[in-house]
Amino acid sequence: MIRKFSLTVTSLLGLAAATCFAAEKTYTFGVVAKSNNNPVFQAAKTGAEDQAKKLSQNGVTVKIDWRTPNEEDPQKQADAIEQLVNAGASGISVSASDANKLTDAINKAVESGVPVAMFDSDAPKSKRFVIFGTDDIDAGHTVMEELAKEMGGKGVVAILAGNQNAPNLQKRVQGVREEAKKYPDIKILDAFYHKETPQDAAAKVEQVMQAHPEITGWAMVGGWPLFTDNALKFPPGSVKVVAIDALPAQLGYLRSGHVQVLLAQQVYEWGTETIQMLYDLVANGKKPEQEFVKGKLIPITKDNVDEFAKNWEKWLPKR
Amino acid sequence: MASPGKFSFSFSKFPEGGLILAIIVLGLLLAIFGGTVQLPKFQKNAEGKQERVMTKNANGQEVPAFETVNKFFNPKTLVQIAKDTSFFAIMAVGMTFVIITGGIDLSVGATYALASVCGAIMLNHAGSSGGIGGTLFGILVTIAVGVLGGLLNGLMIVAFRVHPFIITLGTMAIYRGIAFVQTNGQSIGEFPEMFRGFVRQEFNGLSLVPLVVMIIVMIVGGILLAKMAIGRKVYAVGGNETASLYSGIRVGSVKILVYVISGLTAGIAAMLSLGYYGAGSSGDGQGYELNVIAAAVVGGASLVGGKGTALGALLGAIILQMISNGLVILNIPQNYSQIVIGLVVIAAVLFDQFNAWLANRRLLAKTGRIKKEVIASSDIPVSTSPQTK
Repeated sequence: MIRKFSLTVTSLLGLAAATCFAAEKTYTFGVVAKSNNNPVFQAAKTGAEDQAKKLSQNGVTVKIDWRTPNEEDPQKQADAIEQLVNAGASGISVSASDANKLTDAINKAVESGVPVAMFDSDAPKSKRFVIFGTDDIDAGHTVMEELAKEMGGKGVVAILAGNQNAPNLQKRVQGVREEAKKYPDIKILDAFYHKETPQDAAAKVEQVMQAHPEITGWAMVGGWPLFTDNALKFPPGSVKVVAIDALPAQLGYLRSGHVQVLLAQQVYEWGTETIQMLYDLVANGKKPEQEFVKGKLIPITKDNVDEFAKNWEKWLPKR
Repeated sequence: MASPGKFSFSFSKFPEGGLILAIIVLGLLLAIFGGTVQLPKFQKNAEGKQERVMTKNANGQEVPAFETVNKFFNPKTLVQIAKDTSFFAIMAVGMTFVIITGGIDLSVGATYALASVCGAIMLNHAGSSGGIGGTLFGILVTIAVGVLGGLLNGLMIVAFRVHPFIITLGTMAIYRGIAFVQTNGQSIGEFPEMFRGFVRQEFNGLSLVPLVVMIIVMIVGGILLAKMAIGRKVYAVGGNETASLYSGIRVGSVKILVYVISGLTAGIAAMLSLGYYGAGSSGDGQGYELNVIAAAVVGGASLVGGKGTALGALLGAIILQMISNGLVILNIPQNYSQIVIGLVVIAAVLFDQFNAWLANRRLLAKTGRIKKEVIASSDIPVSTSPQTK
């Protein structure tokens, strides 16, 4: 008997406390990113919330309903989309952990009158009205272009390529190879694949450097090894490195001179742009002109790294 | 004991009563405090497809019609909660069998992932236009892999006489590792439409298939535990393994069987998930073992063994899911739900222990009373002190 009361009382307390936070709303946009543990999605969250504040004027209230799983879990993402529809969300912004698993949930939301915008990671077969993110082939081109500048247009380049089955990374590698053709004195040694953990990536760089000391440039289509300390064992500047992403943990490599350029994705704008596009559609019936809105890659170097680092202070939640 | 003819109800005879009470109270709270929400209205068109109901506004323009519904107490939200619960609840029924014997199956999430990946490969092989043969084979493989995973756990636990925690901790990594190697970490989709259509089919806009499967698993589990000889053996092994051994129960076989049942439920949950979500990957069910164990424990299963019911497991899973969804309905940041769920699990176990202690005291008091009554009703003089006249 006491057990029954315990459950009842515990549940009661939890929910009663919860009601204190409930508030009124006019437009509520759900955001389902890949995981709470990744700083890029925390930046997107700050972006979405800032945009909601900006749009909340002249009698309009815009709220963000953040429904991102703590660890990547596409099943929970699909459930979250369904829950948002049932909760009466005006629109949903999603970054898919697994396009296959989310397509039906997205389609069901759209069929129920809830438009879906996507950022970062697409579900191309779904009925979402827009995807805002990086064009992977363009990204590959930019990596190689920046690297060629740093290398003075000559040398031997290795590509660090992550999981060889990931289609987006394949496209980035393709972009690097295409761009390299513009530089006759640059030779692409090969693309090196590895498990996408910082340790595996760092180990791969070390193995390749030992086997091929002639390498003078690394085109990293993802910044995996730069999440560990001391991943790049060569003297700063002896080998030029350009990598995609500029997360707080990676910025030290710019300061130490091991990495020349980090290409930052518009992670804050993943939030601001998709909320703006959802608002434009829901409130004003305005769709973006293209289905694929390309985000830019911002080059971060030793010169602007400190200024860029201040963004992260704003984007990440205060401890 | 109530006298014949009089209405009587005792919670002790219906141990899940408290869980049902908790669900009702939670539901009432959510219905009252969750508020209302405006949802678009839908109707079926001539082709049987859902379409939005339109209405005319003050200016005579056609605009979509909305209806105001209670945020929690509406069929869609209720079925959504049941659907979200079903994957955990099915596995929690299997886990309850294991926990009753005093064991634990940490590999249940990994078994779910492995079964899901193997089934996905087969279903993908059949393709989107795959027929009944390919679909049934895919389903069979998914469930068989779950059973095999459980069988291996059981065999190793019995043969090596190693604590189930260790064996299943090991197989948790092994099964997930095999799933990763098979798929290279990629998701596998494109299953026969017939299979997807069956699991996702809607009745008046409600997905009922996962819910129905969950109830069937619970009923079968409940019958096995409460009405069949094997159920009594499972409780006996958990209650006192040595006594069971001396009374002729094949303890090893019972133990293997409970892990097979746990694997089987993981396979069934994986099959449903493939049909509902449409893809399998090695990352599926990451951390689900803890949710499943929590559901079984909140549902009254005792980790020391000897206690637990299939209905309890289902209700435990529903309570946890209601809290999780409920906080969302009340617009609470989702991380609070983890804190509340953690507290509920600990509170459930603590009060369970307290309850057991109380019951024990009552039993002792009762035994004492009976002893006195026996002595009083006998002819033996109670007092032996010398009497003087």
